[in-house]
Amino acid sequence: MKLAKKMLAFGMTAIMVLSMTACGGTKTAQESGSADADKGEVTKLYVVNWKDYLSDDKDFVEKFEKENNCEIVNTYMDSEEDLLTKLKTGGEGEIDVCLPNCSILPAAIEAGLLEPIDTAKVPNFEQLFERFQTQKECIGADGKLYAVPFVWGSTSIAYNTDNLKEAPASVKDFFDEKYKGRIAFRDDYNDAIMTAAMALGQDPNNPSDLDAIKALLIKQKALNKTYWQTGDEFSKLFASGQVDLGLMWSGQTATMRAEGQPIAFVVPADGGIGWVDNWAIPASSKNKDLAYKFINAMLDKDTQKAWVEKGGPAPANQAAAEALDPEYAKQCCIDEESLSHLVFMEYRTDEVKQTWNDLWTEVKAS
Amino acid sequence: MIKDRRTIMTWPAMLTLLLFALFPLVIMFYTSFISDATGEFSMANYAKFFSNLTYIKVTGTSILISLCVTLVSLVIAYPLAYIMAKKLKGLKNIILVLVIIPFFTNQLVRVYSWLIFLQDGGILNRLFMTFGLAENGLGILYTKAAVIIGLTHAFFPYMVVTIFMALERLDDAMLEASRSLGASKTTTFMKVIFPLSMPGVISGVTIVFIPCLGSFVEPRILGGTGGLTIGNIIEDQFFEIYGWNFGAAIAFLLLAMVLICMGGLNSAGKRWQV
Repeated sequence: MKLAKKMLAFGMTAIMVLSMTACGGTKTAQESGSADADKGEVTKLYVVNWKDYLSDDKDFVEKFEKENNCEIVNTYMDSEEDLLTKLKTGGEGEIDVCLPNCSILPAAIEAGLLEPIDTAKVPNFEQLFERFQTQKECIGADGKLYAVPFVWGSTSIAYNTDNLKEAPASVKDFFDEKYKGRIAFRDDYNDAIMTAAMALGQDPNNPSDLDAIKALLIKQKALNKTYWQTGDEFSKLFASGQVDLGLMWSGQTATMRAEGQPIAFVVPADGGIGWVDNWAIPASSKNKDLAYKFINAMLDKDTQKAWVEKGGPAPANQAAAEALDPEYAKQCCIDEESLSHLVFMEYRTDEVKQTWNDLWTEVKAS
Repeated sequence: MIKDRRTIMTWPAMLTLLLFALFPLVIMFYTSFISDATGEFSMANYAKFFSNLTYIKVTGTSILISLCVTLVSLVIAYPLAYIMAKKLKGLKNIILVLVIIPFFTNQLVRVYSWLIFLQDGGILNRLFMTFGLAENGLGILYTKAAVIIGLTHAFFPYMVVTIFMALERLDDAMLEASRSLGASKTTTFMKVIFPLSMPGVISGVTIVFIPCLGSFVEPRILGGTGGLTIGNIIEDQFFEIYGWNFGAAIAFLLLAMVLICMGGLNSAGKRWQV
């Protein structure tokens, strides 16, 4: 009985400690789609995508399903790593089309999980920005294309237009004493290191001098009001007037401006961080032709334009980007000039991730 | 015979613990020995922790913050528990409900409330500035002080409840005996009340200190650039870079520290057992 008591005490402690440290909510993947059970016969297209990311947009789904006599079945992913796991463990025909970004693409291609893309079956491919047609991560070691860029966005400088007379013109502003106590830097090892590398003139994707980056980030730490981690945190900090400058996402800045906040976004000439989401077809798909049609529809000029105007991310389709109101495009930094300043986030090995994360931990602990 | 039947009734609980607490722990303990780099069985993760001063330093900070929270909780909770148990017995249920209410609030809501309360331009700051107590605002948010406030609010109810239970068991006749034998109020408290409430104090200290050590939500949101704790490091390992093995190793070192603390407090507690 005494042993049992001890075991109970041990178990209780363990639960307490672990629930405090190691657990967190992983959202369960959900399935949706306009399921008409009685149709039964129509082909089902299994899509793995983010929630509210166009493939579950009512207008798009209705049109596509009608034109192709099929049914879109969405499964939502929690993270890029989650998608990679789904690709690795999913059986034959379980996924027909999915949306990996550059951080996992090379790993997926190398593992042979994806089907080479025949651009002849994606007529809209030609309308993509030149740089996206040759996106490095989408191309495998064999020179074949394995994924098609869909949308992109950036992480750069957001600032308060009421309090700052002049728009920040350089990433170096994050390291400038004159903004002391008015900056909200992002608590993210990747963004922190890439930004510091830009300020130091190093290659953000392959920084040559991590010690210099660490020293700069430690110096920068004192200039911050705080580090933010969730978009909501930044929104509150900004709305209550506690910060003037932040390392922020283009998409959220647009949302905040639409809410009436005095916020603007710039991608300075010395750089901003870019990301791209790409459509890919798993090698195990059983509906490849339909998947091609789906990808083509996703790249459609009007579809992409309509989505941006609803608040979606920047279109990879150049024709769609050019059809937007230029003023609006410039505000959102989805114009060609901003695009030319961006450094796109590349794939990193686990070892690099660990090293960068360690560096960032040391900065935060300093 | 009856006793045996009663033991059987504890089996479901024991089985649940075995399946959902001990078994996962064993798996985690195993993975903590798998090197992230090579995938082989090694001490690499533990070696990494001890070879990097950063981790030791952050662990120190976490312990310091937890000790402060425990101390502040004790100072706030003891008088409250005493009043509930001995002075305002009629109101004790009402006070107890008031103390427990924070438990019903979602953790994030609680933390965000403190954020809004403490921030520049927030209620506390304006109050201080109105009375001329602080010129440029307190600047208390995004410091360790804010973390201690947030954690104390979250955990001090445990302390109140445990101490209250110990004090309530204390027989009033003893207090009368002490007084009739000529002891002053201070002596009565020091020699009678406090020693007899020690079991409650010790369990209170244990249940406040331990979860504090692993907390990461309050430090991250309220602590700003200075709020890094060992809990955050574990969280980052798991969610940022999927370094589960190293994360597991740190979690086990934390568990070891907790067990040592519990052992220490337990043997301290034995001295006071009635």
